[in-house]
Amino acid sequence: MLGYLLRRTAWGAATVLGVLLFLFALFFLYATPQDVARRALGEKAPPEAIAQWLVNHGYDKPAVWNPADPLDTRLAEHLRRMLLFDFGRSDADDVPIAQRLRDGVGPSLSVTLPLFTLGLPLALSLALLVAFFRETYIDRVGVVLCVLAMSVSVLVYILGGQYLLGKLLRWFPISGFDPAPSVLLRFVALPVLVGLLAGVGANVRFYRAVFLEESGRDYVRTARAKGAGDARVMARHVLPNALIPVLTNVVVEIPFLFTGSILLESFFGIPGLGSITVDAIQSNDFATLRVMVYLGALLFIAGQVLTDVAYTLVDPRVRLG
Amino acid sequence: MEGHVLGNAFAAAIVLLAALAAWRLRASAFWRERLGEIARRRPIATVVVALYLGVALLDSVAWRDAQPGEASVEARSLLDRAFPADFRERSYSAPLAAVEFYGGAALAHPGRHLLGTDILGRDVLHLALGGARVALLIGGLTSLIAIPLAIALGLAAGYLGGRTDDLVFFLLSTLASMPSILLLVALIMVIGRGPVQVCLALAVTSWVNFCRVVRGETLKLRELDYVSAARALGVSELRIVWRHVLPNLSHLVVITFVLTFSQLVLSEAILSWLGVGIDGSWGQMIDQARDELARDPIIAWNLGAASAALFGLILAVNLVGDALRDVLDPHTLRERT
Amino acid sequence: MRCALRAAALAACVIASLACSNDPYPSADANAHVLYMPYPEAPKTLDPQVAYSVYDHEVLSNVYETPLEYHYLKRPYELIPGLVTAVPEPRALGDGRVVYTFKLRRGVRFASDPCFALGGAGRTQRELVASDLVFALQRIADPKVGSPVLVTFSKIVGLAEFGKRLATLREDDPAFAALRIDEQYRRAGPIEGLNWKVTDDLKVTDVLDVTLDAPYPQILYWFAMPFTAPVPWEAVAWYDGEEGRDGFAEHAVGTGPFRIARYQKRSRIVLERNPDWYGAVHPEWRAPAATYPSEGEAGDAGRGLLAPAAVGRALPFVDRVEMRFEKEAIPVFTKFLQGYYDRSRIPKESFDKAASGGVLSPAMAALGMRLERTVTLGTYYIGFNMVDPVVGNAAGERSRKLRQAMSLAIDADEFLRVFLNGRGIPANSPLPPGLFGYEEDYRNPFRSVDLERARSLLAAAGYANGVDPGTGRALRLSFDTGDTSVQARLRYQFLVESWRRLGLDVEIAATSYNQFQDKVRRGAHQLYFWGWVADYPDPENFLFLLWGPMGQTRGGGPNSSNFADPRYDALFDAMKNRGNDAERLATIRAMRALLEIERPWIELFHPEDYALTQGWLHNAKATGLTVPIWKYYDVDAAMRAERRVAWNQPVRWPAFAIAGLGVVLLVPGVATYLRERH
Repeated sequence: MLGYLLRRTAWGAATVLGVLLFLFALFFLYATPQDVARRALGEKAPPEAIAQWLVNHGYDKPAVWNPADPLDTRLAEHLRRMLLFDFGRSDADDVPIAQRLRDGVGPSLSVTLPLFTLGLPLALSLALLVAFFRETYIDRVGVVLCVLAMSVSVLVYILGGQYLLGKLLRWFPISGFDPAPSVLLRFVALPVLVGLLAGVGANVRFYRAVFLEESGRDYVRTARAKGAGDARVMARHVLPNALIPVLTNVVVEIPFLFTGSILLESFFGIPGLGSITVDAIQSNDFATLRVMVYLGALLFIAGQVLTDVAYTLVDPRVRLG
Repeated sequence: MEGHVLGNAFAAAIVLLAALAAWRLRASAFWRERLGEIARRRPIATVVVALYLGVALLDSVAWRDAQPGEASVEARSLLDRAFPADFRERSYSAPLAAVEFYGGAALAHPGRHLLGTDILGRDVLHLALGGARVALLIGGLTSLIAIPLAIALGLAAGYLGGRTDDLVFFLLSTLASMPSILLLVALIMVIGRGPVQVCLALAVTSWVNFCRVVRGETLKLRELDYVSAARALGVSELRIVWRHVLPNLSHLVVITFVLTFSQLVLSEAILSWLGVGIDGSWGQMIDQARDELARDPIIAWNLGAASAALFGLILAVNLVGDALRDVLDPHTLRERT
Repeated sequence: MRCALRAAALAACVIASLACSNDPYPSADANAHVLYMPYPEAPKTLDPQVAYSVYDHEVLSNVYETPLEYHYLKRPYELIPGLVTAVPEPRALGDGRVVYTFKLRRGVRFASDPCFALGGAGRTQRELVASDLVFALQRIADPKVGSPVLVTFSKIVGLAEFGKRLATLREDDPAFAALRIDEQYRRAGPIEGLNWKVTDDLKVTDVLDVTLDAPYPQILYWFAMPFTAPVPWEAVAWYDGEEGRDGFAEHAVGTGPFRIARYQKRSRIVLERNPDWYGAVHPEWRAPAATYPSEGEAGDAGRGLLAPAAVGRALPFVDRVEMRFEKEAIPVFTKFLQGYYDRSRIPKESFDKAASGGVLSPAMAALGMRLERTVTLGTYYIGFNMVDPVVGNAAGERSRKLRQAMSLAIDADEFLRVFLNGRGIPANSPLPPGLFGYEEDYRNPFRSVDLERARSLLAAAGYANGVDPGTGRALRLSFDTGDTSVQARLRYQFLVESWRRLGLDVEIAATSYNQFQDKVRRGAHQLYFWGWVADYPDPENFLFLLWGPMGQTRGGGPNSSNFADPRYDALFDAMKNRGNDAERLATIRAMRALLEIERPWIELFHPEDYALTQGWLHNAKATGLTVPIWKYYDVDAAMRAERRVAWNQPVRWPAFAIAGLGVVLLVPGVATYLRERH
């Protein structure tokens, strides 16, 4: 038992290391920092300024091996910074990345939290409904609607939402953000609605499949044979047993609560981590982009390890790989 | 090498592969029966997918007309040739309109642009049909890179187990743990832009899924009686894999391919919005048309055509994919997607 | 299930009541004397010696002040005293040097800020002295600051040497590099061309002599740009980005009419009235830069810019400026139409709604909106790389004819019509209207479309029908760009297709911005699209873009075409320092004639800016340069509040329709459920 937990954690740590090495190869060995420096300092920057910038951002050190001091390399620096969460400054405008993350988490959460807390019950209850009425018109219409909803690009949802609800009906501001409680809700409403609509199809379909799979199992048949009603079977037997795949799916989404939604935030002008990422992409800010990929991966891995551990604690027979 | 030559080669490769697959499949009663079943279940969706494929192939076969004396610059595809040679207007015109949208000047081809023209006066129907080729390129080229890699590594991991399995699984979990859109963009920013690069980046993020399926199934197959029996009889390992394991994976690969396809095309739309997509894709058309919603009177046919073309393909592929999964594999993959 | 339904209904009601309004501002501000402005790009830096983009200056110019400013209303642009008491006159020394004497106003104070405690415990403020202006100029020379205008200011005697001394001292002595910044500058020694005199009070100095090594009359314009805004050394020393303090690039301490109240640059910036501004403390001075002007350009009175309510009054009129970050153009225009912005540039997409033929649509005019058009002091052009073997100088007459032919194929009118809704003027020479040397009736013979002539020129160049005899195929050229956006691609496609009509095969080589920059630096580019917007209203600021010594590939200057023609360079030298007289005009004409034949550029257009203003915003005049303008603006807040309510009634029926549809869909389901239960 303990051995398994230790092994699982070690495996998670190894994956984090793998991610860091991958990022290092991508951003330090493949991409050249001179380009980033020129972009940050502008066309007219003299060579001395570029050299100075490279020193300030630690891009001047040897990449992997420094005979004089084995720890004074870009690789060591990269690992040290990432593992200690000492992210340094943005390549684009020298703002500390940690500060930027602190500023961005709030706005991101104010969109993703409602999206998550409304989206999960909505998808679950719709899926239950559809599964409950399986083989009826509700099921068939429901599944077709889900596939329809899944086949529309998110971009189309966003543009349509802004145009219809923002411009034509004037229900919500078309974009923008303000953390003041009196106006926060109206800024968040439209992105959350659009996010719900864009995500509900795939989720309902997935949960429906889970529920149907579960209701096909022997114990459900037994319960039904004993005379339990449909609704009772659903609520008492199917739902609890379907929770494991549901939970697994939910855990996968948790990192995105923090990293925010790239598309929603950019289109609706929400200054969260998602739009920070887009800005980083558009301004070639490798330092920030690196940190965002790393944090996303870290949260993902942590979530995986924790669920596996939780499953093991609840049911020692479960061994998820 | 020039773009259209590459396109021709690609189209030829696809046709060849399809012919080969058809020939092999006709020999197998299993496949003949199952594919017939799919066509029966989803007749419309199957026809729609075939139509998209046809249009994409038509647009992939291109050549230059060598006219004496005058240099013809562009290679034109079969699809381009289905439209008149100079099927252009000066700027926007509404579907089937006789005059320009702004200003009302007479059109060169009044009433003949079924879906209107875009800001440069290009026929929107033509552009929307052309997007099919890019979608096929995204799905096809990416899979062409990802699937062999995934099968090789997945088989090795699942069949050999031990250190190999650990290594492959480590690679898988490392790649899978990074947010895929960010990983895509980071890859493209670093390796550069262009259709091949985008497909390469998409392959890096999508092979994980294939590989996981292949590895899981191989693990199961390895323990089956007939494989053990073959091994006990002294059949070489390579032969076991080739004759007994690989054929039993093929349906999973087909299903995963179809289900991944729509993800790939939708991902490209987001990449286009981030400015790193492929030229001529529907994603790019949508991105370009998004500001037109604010024009007044509003210009919707551009956005509409691109979204509808994208939607039609994804919907049809999703429906066929569902049917494929139900028919070929009622259990294994139900809870995946 | 029922409980969940009830909860959902309740939640829906709460959300509907709280969320259902499109007003992006708290209701408490409805009647406030506030200006609402969108900004499309976050400022990169607030450091006045570094900032060089329009978006930086838009914020900066209201917070920092410069020795000189431009007259708000008069055109052509006229310099007025800002922090100084009079616009200085040049005084020639015998040896070719020139001296300008800047006499600073006394009693000007920096906005209060905790950083002033560095100059004495408990201090929160300080008076502006001449050494603050010197400090700003020293920062331009400081290599660590990385100011982009060092080359220009190196005309000040000894300025560049100061920077070099500073760099050497820092490198040789780590202890020196650790000193406080003012101490470093003091120890690096004086700058020969900057002399400030002590007047009546031994401590406070207010007269600064600036000596240039050669005549350069344009230097005065540079003293109206934020680069020369005096900066307190305390702010630079204190705001170093360490230990939780802001960096100086994120924290402004200036003398201007506004100070920054909130700076969350990726969502909003709020400026508020600076109570310590000299204009507010000393309205009796009636300083030109702190009083609304009483005269302007012809027609300004008719446009309401000389209203009695404003003329001669002390500035500023508004209490606060609320700036909101708006990356996408469409939300800006939508919110403007809803009354939530006071002023907006018109996005191209909405142009036909707002203005067709340069006149406001009747619907919008009825809402009290106004339209202003200004020609921006800018020129957009397609450049040839003159060191390229095919299109450049090396191919001699052959490439000249090729360039001429390509120039004849581009239809600027059509380009403007398609992409900018006609918002711009086709360009015939590098000089935009509004500058000395621009002549409205000048027509460049190679800048109107003439495909016949283009084809015959091509044939004469040896590329008959666009075919390159070397390969037997169409001549292949590459159009290099660092802009991969779809919008840019459409523009380039237009150009490429224009050249295709000549049989030329121009390929768009879109790479990342860095790769493009790198290509230009190495001289590996062929054709490119570029624009230049004036720093100051003088023809020299445009014509130097083709001056040989400014060649990008050789000298790292902004002459990306690497055009180097001794005749042009000689004419440029003769033109650059002259006053605007007949001889200068003649020289400019000669330069223009040279460019006409040589064609290093295909001049495309001078952009025109259309701005929409709400009926409640007063005194707004468009400017082609980025200058402090918000202190002149005034709003009628009551009118705005009333109109916003009237314009933003939500359309409610679809909500009821959707709810009804949901019920209709669910009822049969619930019925089935009930039936089954019984």
